[in-house]
Amino acid sequence: MASTQARTVADTRPDSLWGRAPYPVLVADLRGVVVRCNDAAGLILPAAAPGASLTDVAPAWLCAAHTRIGSPGPHAVPADTEEALRGTIAGRRFEAHPTALGDGSVAWWLVDDTDHQLAREALLMERERTAFLAKASNVLLSSLNLGRCMDVTAQLAAESLADVALAIAPSRSSRLPVVTCLRGGTPVLADMSVDPDDVPGLGEALRGFPPVPSRWIDPAAAPAWLVPEGFGPVGSIVITPLPGHGVPAGALVLLRKAQTASFSSEEEVFARLFAARAGAAMSAARLYAEQTAITDVLMRELMPPALHQISGVDFAGGYRPSADHERIGGDFYDVHPATVEGEASLVSLGDVCGKGLEAAVLTGKIRNTLHALLPLADDHSRMLGLLNTALLNSHHARFVTLVLASARRRGNQVDLALTSAGHPSPLIIRADGTVHEADTRGTLIGALPAITAVTITESLAPGESCVLYTDGITEAKGGPMGDDLFGDERLKRALAGCVGMPAEGIVEHVQMLAAQWLGNRRHDDMAVVVISAPRTHHLSAVNGHTRGRFTA
Amino acid sequence: MTTHPHQLRVTTLETQDSVRVEVHGDLDYDNADLLVHEVTAQLTARPGLTDLHLHCAEIGAVDSMGLCALLMISRHTAAAGVRLHLDERSAKLDRLLDLTGTLDHLTAPPPTGTVRSSMTGESTTAIRPTEPDGLT
Repeated sequence: MASTQARTVADTRPDSLWGRAPYPVLVADLRGVVVRCNDAAGLILPAAAPGASLTDVAPAWLCAAHTRIGSPGPHAVPADTEEALRGTIAGRRFEAHPTALGDGSVAWWLVDDTDHQLAREALLMERERTAFLAKASNVLLSSLNLGRCMDVTAQLAAESLADVALAIAPSRSSRLPVVTCLRGGTPVLADMSVDPDDVPGLGEALRGFPPVPSRWIDPAAAPAWLVPEGFGPVGSIVITPLPGHGVPAGALVLLRKAQTASFSSEEEVFARLFAARAGAAMSAARLYAEQTAITDVLMRELMPPALHQISGVDFAGGYRPSADHERIGGDFYDVHPATVEGEASLVSLGDVCGKGLEAAVLTGKIRNTLHALLPLADDHSRMLGLLNTALLNSHHARFVTLVLASARRRGNQVDLALTSAGHPSPLIIRADGTVHEADTRGTLIGALPAITAVTITESLAPGESCVLYTDGITEAKGGPMGDDLFGDERLKRALAGCVGMPAEGIVEHVQMLAAQWLGNRRHDDMAVVVISAPRTHHLSAVNGHTRGRFTA
Repeated sequence: MTTHPHQLRVTTLETQDSVRVEVHGDLDYDNADLLVHEVTAQLTARPGLTDLHLHCAEIGAVDSMGLCALLMISRHTAAAGVRLHLDERSAKLDRLLDLTGTLDHLTAPPPTGTVRSSMTGESTTAIRPTEPDGLT
């Protein structure tokens, strides 16, 4: 320091203020010889001294700039100033601003912009990373398919973070789903029969607990299955857990080749940010898959049964679930054949309030309860009272409206007992084409502490039918104006045209009319059950003991 | 936010010992909770309340969840000893309440140990749960 001090003092003329200026200044003449330099210039260019050649003391980029500026004219500055007058000196970056002096020499004012450059580069990198993360989020969140999420995770990671990325999902079985993607390649899924605990940190990452940070492992310790064939020597391996919503989403394994730089701490942080997004997407997909599986199980359980003739009575049913994304609806129907031949079969058709899983669960409960109460099927009121008690619940008022119908063949007629519990009354189609409502009334089930119900009896002659339906039919919104309800009257008129049709025909006709009325509009669940007395020919008693049989 | 023409709006007017809640729009799956929350808030905020009037003239479509909300409100008012009035019901709402057998229940005075009137009709059977106390 002392020597520098001594020299710069000698270089500084008493009249010049710039001698002590904080920025390095260097004056060189036309021939490229240093004329003067100040203290600060001495600090960065220790060899600079008056009389020295610029090429000996200054870096090449500065000399080139000096030559360029000197040749065409004092003020001619190259068009690409910004680029040309920037360079490194002693590991730091400088901007060089030339000032032409009167005698043809040029004063070079050097400004250290290393920090500025670093900030710019950091900003640029952050922008790239943010853009990458935004893209990752977009791509990852656009799918609720677990396989697709794993593919995307591996692909994105291989694109920006590593030479090879492996997305590994936790598995209950002994086979581990692993998606491998090489940079620029396509992701490949393989179910591997491997033990994740063979890889240090992988087992914990897949279990999700205790939370583990990303960790380095010795490439030599990596089992062969982790490294794709033909990859060559592995330089570095990082295992990053994928955090999920309370469930472990899996782990991301990043591999870099021996010749690629290993992971910096910033890259590791970045990998974690990416892992957080990938984990969120993968766990969402996993939860969705689980929910879909549950829904499918429930769906199978709740599918309405196929109906047919039972004990000489025709039954037909049709169900069209709401087109909403919640696929299980609140409508249901069942036909329970009598346990003893000659007794009545019980039909139940109902509509649970609400939709989706909650409605489905309630529907299941109602169907099971009714099934258990079958021994009481000859007393609808009692059955409904018990069902009401079973469903009453203090924290919500979810209810069901339903119709119970007991149907028994007597001679060639069908005797019906009908009870409505807050449900649209069944419609009876007579042989003469009249349609009337069965006059049964009752309280909805499951919300009130006490209920009332009126059971009525009807008889169907051969060819006559009784139609049970849910309000999804009558409240179907559509028609020519698009805003009218299908309505009771229209339904009755339609049914009047169904005289003599078989039960399946009536169900299909009603469904078709409602579908036409709706067009493509949204609708509620729609369920229809038809009970018909078959048109029969009396057969004489076959063995003299029974009361005679009828053709189907 | 766009305002749907059928979106539920709830306006509350208060007097000395009664509250009048005006309901505009559809009382359906998407909106019914809003009304229940409003009524619950009123009941909680005003312990001295004797009457709660639901002004129903402007109610649009009522679906099963809407009816569920009305039943829940009547439970809350009964528990608070407040009489629920469903004022200016449309014919359509009346038909729904009648069909589901809930009209009497919803408009009954708060239970002071009395039993609710049952529906009329010769073959009407009143069914009561074996343990009515077990449900609230």
